Amino acid sequence: MRYHQTCDGLRRRDMLKAGMLTAGGLTLSNYLQMAQAGQLQTGRADRAIFIELPGGPSHLDNFDLKPDAPDEFRGSFKPIATNVPGIQISEHLPKLATCADKFAILRGVSHTLAAHRLGREYVNTGSKPIPALEYPSYGAVVSKELSSKSDIPSMVAVPRAGQGPGFLGIRYAPLETNSQPSFGDPFSVRGISLANGIGIDEVERRQDLLRKLDRRFAALEKSDQLLEGLDQFGEQAYSMITSPRSREAFDISKEPESFARQFGEDSFGQSCMLSLRLVEAGVRLVSVQLGGWDTHQDNFTKLKTNNLPKLDAGLSGLLVGLEQRGLLESTAVFVTGEFGRTPKINTRSAEGGRDHYPRCMFMLMAGGAVRGGQVIGESDDTAAGPRHEGISPDDVAASFYYNLGIDPTLEYDTTTGRPITLVRDGSIVKQLFA
Amino acid sequence: MLRKPSSITNPYYSGIAVAILAANLAWSVAVAVEPASPRGEDQPNQAIDPLSDRFADSEGEEVPNFQKHIVPLLGRLGCNGRACHGSFQGRGGFQLSLFGYDFKADHEAMLDEDTGRVDLEDVDESMILAKPTDADLHEGGKRYDKDSWQHHVLKRWVEAGAPFDQKEVQSLTKLEIQPAEIQFTNQSDHVKLRAIAHWQDGSAEDVTELCRFSSNDDSIADIDQNGRVQSGTSGDTHVVVYYDNAVVAVPIIRPVGPPAEHQPEYTHPVDRLVQTKLNKLGIVSAGRCTDAEFIRRASLDITGILPAADTVRTFLADKSSDKREKLLQKLLNSPGYAAWWATRFSDWTGNSEEQLNNVLPVRNAASRLWYEWLRVRLAANVPYDKIVEGIVTAKSREQGESYADYCKSMTEACKPGNENKFAERDGMPLYWTRVNFRQPEDRAIGFAYTFLGIRVECAQCHKHPFDQWSKNDFEEFAKLFSPVRFNQNQVTPDAKAERKEILAQITEGKDLKSNGDIRRAIQQAARSGEVVPFGELLIAARGMTSAERRKLIARAKKAGRKQPAPRIPTGKILGEPDLVELDKDPRPALMQWLRSPENPYFAKAVVNRVWSNYFGAGLVDPTDDMNLANPPANAALLDHLASELIQHEFDLKWLHHTIVTSETYQRSTDTNETNINDRTNLSRHLPRRLPAEVVHDAVLLATGSDTRAKELRGELEEMAIAEGQPRLRNQQNFVLEVFGQSIRETNCDCDRSDSPSLLQSIYLRNDSEMHKRLSDKNSWVMQACEALGVPGPVGAQDPRQLAAIRKTDAMRKQMIKRAQQFRRLPEARQENLRKQLEREFASAAKRVTRAGFAVPKFEELIADPEVWASLEPAEMAGNAEAVATVSDLIEEAYLRTLSRYPDENESKIALQFIEESEATAAGVQSLLWALVNTKEFIITH
Repeated sequence: MRYHQTCDGLRRRDMLKAGMLTAGGLTLSNYLQMAQAGQLQTGRADRAIFIELPGGPSHLDNFDLKPDAPDEFRGSFKPIATNVPGIQISEHLPKLATCADKFAILRGVSHTLAAHRLGREYVNTGSKPIPALEYPSYGAVVSKELSSKSDIPSMVAVPRAGQGPGFLGIRYAPLETNSQPSFGDPFSVRGISLANGIGIDEVERRQDLLRKLDRRFAALEKSDQLLEGLDQFGEQAYSMITSPRSREAFDISKEPESFARQFGEDSFGQSCMLSLRLVEAGVRLVSVQLGGWDTHQDNFTKLKTNNLPKLDAGLSGLLVGLEQRGLLESTAVFVTGEFGRTPKINTRSAEGGRDHYPRCMFMLMAGGAVRGGQVIGESDDTAAGPRHEGISPDDVAASFYYNLGIDPTLEYDTTTGRPITLVRDGSIVKQLFA
Repeated sequence: MLRKPSSITNPYYSGIAVAILAANLAWSVAVAVEPASPRGEDQPNQAIDPLSDRFADSEGEEVPNFQKHIVPLLGRLGCNGRACHGSFQGRGGFQLSLFGYDFKADHEAMLDEDTGRVDLEDVDESMILAKPTDADLHEGGKRYDKDSWQHHVLKRWVEAGAPFDQKEVQSLTKLEIQPAEIQFTNQSDHVKLRAIAHWQDGSAEDVTELCRFSSNDDSIADIDQNGRVQSGTSGDTHVVVYYDNAVVAVPIIRPVGPPAEHQPEYTHPVDRLVQTKLNKLGIVSAGRCTDAEFIRRASLDITGILPAADTVRTFLADKSSDKREKLLQKLLNSPGYAAWWATRFSDWTGNSEEQLNNVLPVRNAASRLWYEWLRVRLAANVPYDKIVEGIVTAKSREQGESYADYCKSMTEACKPGNENKFAERDGMPLYWTRVNFRQPEDRAIGFAYTFLGIRVECAQCHKHPFDQWSKNDFEEFAKLFSPVRFNQNQVTPDAKAERKEILAQITEGKDLKSNGDIRRAIQQAARSGEVVPFGELLIAARGMTSAERRKLIARAKKAGRKQPAPRIPTGKILGEPDLVELDKDPRPALMQWLRSPENPYFAKAVVNRVWSNYFGAGLVDPTDDMNLANPPANAALLDHLASELIQHEFDLKWLHHTIVTSETYQRSTDTNETNINDRTNLSRHLPRRLPAEVVHDAVLLATGSDTRAKELRGELEEMAIAEGQPRLRNQQNFVLEVFGQSIRETNCDCDRSDSPSLLQSIYLRNDSEMHKRLSDKNSWVMQACEALGVPGPVGAQDPRQLAAIRKTDAMRKQMIKRAQQFRRLPEARQENLRKQLEREFASAAKRVTRAGFAVPKFEELIADPEVWASLEPAEMAGNAEAVATVSDLIEEAYLRTLSRYPDENESKIALQFIEESEATAAGVQSLLWALVNTKEFIITH
């Protein structure tokens, strides 16, 4: 048994217990009830892009500004108007301001895990981490629930995944590209094109031979995750190698330059464009990361010169691009960091920084049945907590699954036969889809 | 740390643990108080009754104690949790230390008038009394009832003036749990635990209701907040009890079935201790693995090197009864052992070129030196504590070595191929010079990780949640590391002049101002072979620079005070009571503590890591997280091996030998009803994916020709297991990265990963590197084709060659066409044209021969043009002697990949496949491809 313990506390399990006291209690079949009552339409999206902002982006400086808060909270960034009357975001997100109608902002999202690893696990799964088992990533669940083409991976992580498949098993682990695309260059994942001199016939003959010879551990396969995973990856690798579909989807140089440019020329922007090509080709979930948000020091300079321009170009490019390709309606987009940052600016560096702060943060949702151009939830005067009832990562996860037509109250059995509800404590944020 | 209050209305308050049965999502808040169970009889001290008895009434004489009662009660009520007042920003303007144990800070926070938690004037207005009893007032909800014993305890403490005296903090000598272990038989079984605190002053108290409880696996044993343990499925785990700084794990076992009728009797101590546990669990273990499985397993685990086909053949043919023992001896004494284990020790000691950037004036040398220093010692089987001593107490210079000689020797050692010169030096100071190992706190964390196998980082900010360490323990420990300083441009005062001199020679008298310029000049000089200056480890023994000291004296003079006695800074060894004065190098004292037989971690940490190499998991797992709440799967076994290792004077080969000669190590993968779910009690071999370096090398060895493989095995120089593919700065070998080689950076054994992934499968199936290895001129496939007397695989040639071949082949086809045309002619015309055709043929034949291909005789071609159906390499065209059959080669392919003979069915499938292949070469190539892509190739057997 491997424990996932952390300093700040608690073993995963204590938190599971602690979570049981949350307001609202259990919402066992909130999805089914709402669906039956006709309050909800089934989600429309059948693919997803999950953008993770590891490090914990400061909510006060991007999507939840408090221009009227005292100096020690407010920071130096000013709000600007967006193309949706009444919605304001940071002045350093001008491109997103012109397409605010395409995404919904969730403010006053709140949880309690202020350590990077635990927080990331939480927002990557929608369930508070516990020690006895590891919850699966969104990608692993989507891979399991939505059938995909055999010659294309069902989940791709650019460049690496923030969360593994947990108890669902290694077979639902993503294809990690290990590198990021750069502007204008052909991109490929090493090993997916056929080498000189080996024809497709020979690849097929070889695979057939391998299947016949790889029998030694057949008896153990069912009970051993490692063996099962190796088998699964082998079969998938074969399908990908023998079909051109994956290769072409990865090759971002196939996009016209004008289209590529709207994503920004840095690797995050180009990763966003890659994610678009991949979902277009049939990948069920692509995860993309933009790091560098752990701004304990020099918060404002870092955000202004690096993170926000990248996020602005990459995300706006993605949303506009999805719409141009007619994919926005079928692609659920979810953007989140692991927590927000302390409202009060610390004094550890000349210009100050902000520390970990899970009690108040933001998330973004777009695509599928999500109605863009709205703000859901609200934080208090200094963005120190939700003003009213807060939204939990579980709620947002439930909504994300709903948007993909997956019942968040689905039950899975772990390898030891323990039944686990997909999102145990979350209720769908109805306003997102209203 | 304290922050001003801000209005917070987060509804996601979470507090005290409430038991949950995840299975059906039913949850229940257990009854608050249960009657105490009858007392154990063998108690040395009569434990006083629990608080719930003593404070059942609101009136009474007794004043609760802050350490023993108030802080644990707040913990039990959930007040000092991360989500509540234990948060680093506090909550509602009130902050407690996370998990308690910072009594002073907690007491101050409670009595701080701004927080209003304790109001001595108006007791009932104290927020600790008013808020937690009122759900409306308290964001955290209602924590206890008015007039409950909890209320009485807190109230009477406030009434008494909320006393606390730091001097009265007592140490808890023992937290006794009754029963000390539990064996369940049925799912319906349950037991209520009782906890008795034994204090330094000899008093004892029932503190069950002040403890926190958790289970390490609630599917086997669930525990509620009152300490009631409920049985679950079969297996074994621990429930953990927390009070004050104590963390006690209580073993719980529920046997799979009755003890086996025929319990094997073992003499090997490892087997005996493993069997004792298996008997308790009613698990029947798997039998012995086959010889073929054994040679592969032992070779890969001990040396990281795939055995050669011939080695396997000889071993399998050997009929002697002690052949396994002989093999193990041979492996342990082979160069592969030292090479592979130096790689593993490099992982644990954090040998990372990335972190050694600019430590030496020569680039990409430090990591090589570090590795070689370890390798040489492992090869000589230097006792583990001696190796560690060389690291822990390392000095830059040898005894009596001048600075100039030191620089000369180091410059020499940095030249590639000269690493052994560094290995000859006594110390390995590089450990102390890493960029991520320069702050005392980082060193405390890294040192504990490497040599103790524990994670103390939690205690950097608060009481360790799963161990005894308090924040104070961490701080005192960290102080020990502050005297050791390193900077690549700094040397001891006596060497400054010499350094200047060396530098002057390099710069030829030019005065270089910036450190960057100096560094570049030095690097340039090092490249051209000049002696360059090296930095040195410095010991600032007083913990105070001389400038600081001067300042202190000056200030005293100015103020007319007497010159102060130099205050000697102190630190503390983890878990030890005595202060270590930092007026001299503290590292010898640290070393003495490490190797002392009483050290609770040092021997266990290395035993556990070595063990995990052989079984895929440590006896404590994760291997670097020994803590009180994470007890070993088999404590008796770990204790035995650790104490024997000390007895054997830290003889590492003794440890390896003891482990690998056990039956436990030699088990097969076979499952039965009782052991199928066992993953911790060693009842069968659990397959695991080979480590990154081993995969890298196994592919080279399995696909390379005999000559190539022999070269690799002999020198080990290119082998990844021998750091032959060193990880340079910002540049890692692709295969090693994809297969999860350790990055050696974060003080975590999880820096290495052995999970499979899609990219790994894609690499082995289709990477161009793999294609090359299966077809180039150094490949075994090429060798096999030669042995069969058939042409080598396509791809053995480079593209230019391929073009030439195409051209030559076109010539062949042209000649065949001409010959066919010729045959169709009437005889008379043939007569006329024969000469011309012969000339044409001669000219073509010359070019084809020059290209290295065989040519039929002109007469043969005329007689039957089909005789020249394909291009054949000259020396093999029909006349090359086949020295092997396809069956021989199939056998060879199995032995060199899977270390076993193919069975009848496999041989048949392979033979048929090759026969049906268009070219024999392609068939052999595909067979070898298939074998390295089996699961069997990539996992242990």
